[in-house]
Amino acid sequence: MRLEVQALSARVHRTPLLQNITLRIEPGELFGLIGPNGSGKSTLMRCLAGLRRAYVGRVLAGGADLVRIPARTRAQRIAFVEQQADTTDRLTVREAVELGRTPYLSPLRGWSGVDDAAVSDALGAVEMTTFADRLWHTLSGGERQRVHIARALAQTPDLLLLDEPTNHLDIRHQLSLMELVGSLPITRVVALHDLNQATACDRIGVLKGGRLFATGSPTEVLSEPLLAEVFGVAAMRHAGPDGSPRLHFSHAL
Amino acid sequence: MTMVSATPQIAPGRSLWASPLILGLTILAGTAIGETRLSFATVLQTLANHLWGASYPVDGIEAGIIWSYRLPRAIVAACCGAGLALTGVVLQALLRNPLADPYLMGLSAGASSGAVLVTVAGVGGGVISMSFGALTGALLAFGCVVVLAHAVSGGAGGGRATQAAAAIILAGIAGSQMFNALTAFTIARSANAEQARGIMFWLMGNLSGIRWEDVTACTLVSLAGVGLCLWHRRGLDAFTFGADGAASLGINVPALRGSLITATAIMVGVLVSKVGAIGFVGLVVPHAMRFLVGTRHDRLVPASALAGAVFLVAADVISRVIVPGQVLPIGVVTALVGAPAFALNLVRGAQR
Repeated sequence: MRLEVQALSARVHRTPLLQNITLRIEPGELFGLIGPNGSGKSTLMRCLAGLRRAYVGRVLAGGADLVRIPARTRAQRIAFVEQQADTTDRLTVREAVELGRTPYLSPLRGWSGVDDAAVSDALGAVEMTTFADRLWHTLSGGERQRVHIARALAQTPDLLLLDEPTNHLDIRHQLSLMELVGSLPITRVVALHDLNQATACDRIGVLKGGRLFATGSPTEVLSEPLLAEVFGVAAMRHAGPDGSPRLHFSHAL
Repeated sequence: MTMVSATPQIAPGRSLWASPLILGLTILAGTAIGETRLSFATVLQTLANHLWGASYPVDGIEAGIIWSYRLPRAIVAACCGAGLALTGVVLQALLRNPLADPYLMGLSAGASSGAVLVTVAGVGGGVISMSFGALTGALLAFGCVVVLAHAVSGGAGGGRATQAAAAIILAGIAGSQMFNALTAFTIARSANAEQARGIMFWLMGNLSGIRWEDVTACTLVSLAGVGLCLWHRRGLDAFTFGADGAASLGINVPALRGSLITATAIMVGVLVSKVGAIGFVGLVVPHAMRFLVGTRHDRLVPASALAGAVFLVAADVISRVIVPGQVLPIGVVTALVGAPAFALNLVRGAQR
């Protein structure tokens, strides 16, 4: 699904959080969103998910204005994995993933084989099938994140939004999660903290102070001067074994 | 890696059909047991006489106790138990706070203030009934809490979800304290000793005054409550990972939250206006049922309604028989059973 952000601004109590963002994300693209703390990544993700209304401007999803799409229809096409969504409820992995079918169910239209298949597929995609009967509170952080992604995939979306999905994960889980996200055949927008992970994206958008500072391929965007200006760090770039840029950070400027 | 098995869960199909049966038996037991112990046969014969015009020979006084006094009382107790338990289920799900219950939202405090203002301070000049005063008070208190919570969370509405849930809890505490103070002030200022005792009794829950004319309203609101909660069962499930999680699953969060919380406010207002403020049902029953049937609302809603009804009928029976010659306020019984049960639940929750 194509996503177009047109002159988007968002604010809270007159404090601008996002200013005049214009952005186009193509179908099937893996788009990375980077920026320092407080640059507006999460706010932009929430706007893209339709959870937050823009102050000015709009977001078009597949050509339709996001705020005009009914919530149910929107949730059938766009899935959002927030940062740190947790629960104290005693529920199983399968029950958590089944929540992803909510937009397809109604008080009168009950659970069916289609829903079962979607849930099983989603569990399989994140390799959590053997965990289906485990209780949520017995899972590790990486496993919970996988379940969240499975819940999002059970929505069978055209667009998957992930807000810092690798936060708090160990390096192995970080890498396997990014590999999983990279292999999904749908449009994905991923907010990331780790700039080396961002090099795996098709394109990157850089946010600074609520403005879109730059967009482009990882090679174009992740330059030493840009990292110095946006993140305030001295970085060295060299080519990795696969030709993609690798970054080394030496000190804060 | 240890495999932890899921909570044993009762299939909804197997337990649902038994619900009316269990409910019926509970109401029968609540009618039969009391200071004057009556046999089930007498109860059934009296019911047959009244419902189907049968003509079993039943002692007139016993028939009177059963039909005019105990049966409406048991039915209203069942309705209140179901309604209060459901309110707990709804508030705990929507606010993502395990402590949410009608008490906490200031509903009971508001109802008490309304009732006291009408009966003791004479507000309304005798035109307004105590029930109407209690209902108005409950809705007013609820309105205050919602407005306050909205102001605290900066009018963010569906914004930072956890913040909004915390705000409504804090607003509920402030609202409860204020309305409790108003109640105490009114009693201290206007009530004589006799009135004060009566009001204290009502504040702890009192089913003695229940007659048939109260049954209709209580039955209607509690049935409507069960229906509404079952209709929105998937919406309630969707709040598992918070309000933002529900919104991203396609739930219209402000609309669902607004309608369900308003509906439960009206339900509690009506019930509290009939029987007074009964605590701990909304807090304990949903937690106990989550433990038994799991957290999914297609099972949790009917299970909680049924368990709440059974619990309150049993509490009413205990309140009538435990001290010979005297009826305890039912709220004393629910608190004496409920508080330790809740403490146990907390400890178990911490251990798992």
